Amino acid sequence: MEVEELKNLTVDKEVDARGTACPGPLLEAKRSLTGVPQGGIMEVLSSDASTNRDIPLWAQKIGHEYLGTIEEAGYWRIFVKRGK
Amino acid sequence: MATKMMIFCGSDDPQRVFPPFMLGSGALATDMEVTMFFTLSGLNVVKKGGAEKIVLPGAPKTLPEFIKVVQEGGAKMIACSAAFPIVGVKEQDLIEGVECGGVATFVIGAEEADIVLTF
Repeated sequence: MEVEELKNLTVDKEVDARGTACPGPLLEAKRSLTGVPQGGIMEVLSSDASTNRDIPLWAQKIGHEYLGTIEEAGYWRIFVKRGK
Repeated sequence: MATKMMIFCGSDDPQRVFPPFMLGSGALATDMEVTMFFTLSGLNVVKKGGAEKIVLPGAPKTLPEFIKVVQEGGAKMIACSAAFPIVGVKEQDLIEGVECGGVATFVIGAEEADIVLTF
């Protein structure tokens, strides 16, 4: 998705994992996704550079949809749509 | 589909640094897909100026030459960001072409790989 589309998404759950290092953001994302309805959107805030690669891989593996990432100053906003 | 090799590089001891590059370049030569995952003191291999200091007398190539060979061959080089604060490395200290990855990058990559080597 384009950045503008990502910015306009209605987010069901925001997970602020900034300040935690790998695997913190991934584990917080996994834990928080249980509170997101199927088809709902989770936004993960992470300041760990690995998360950009790890979350899309994890999402694809588990059956969620990685929608895209917005880069902000010093952190990233990563959007995932819950699959199953 | 090409055979996939994942190599875990967790040391800057020349005895442990050169084999993954020798085997990795051999795998690339036989059309395998190679991913090299650098963590802990292995990060010294992929930080700027680090490879020049890791020397193995008698090796067929220097470490910077080996890095060039695997990069030109299409190997993915991943630096483990969880180990950055342990080793005192930052993302901007990494040599060109090295990307950051984390636990999911390694475990999912290892699961999908046909061959996993650990050094």
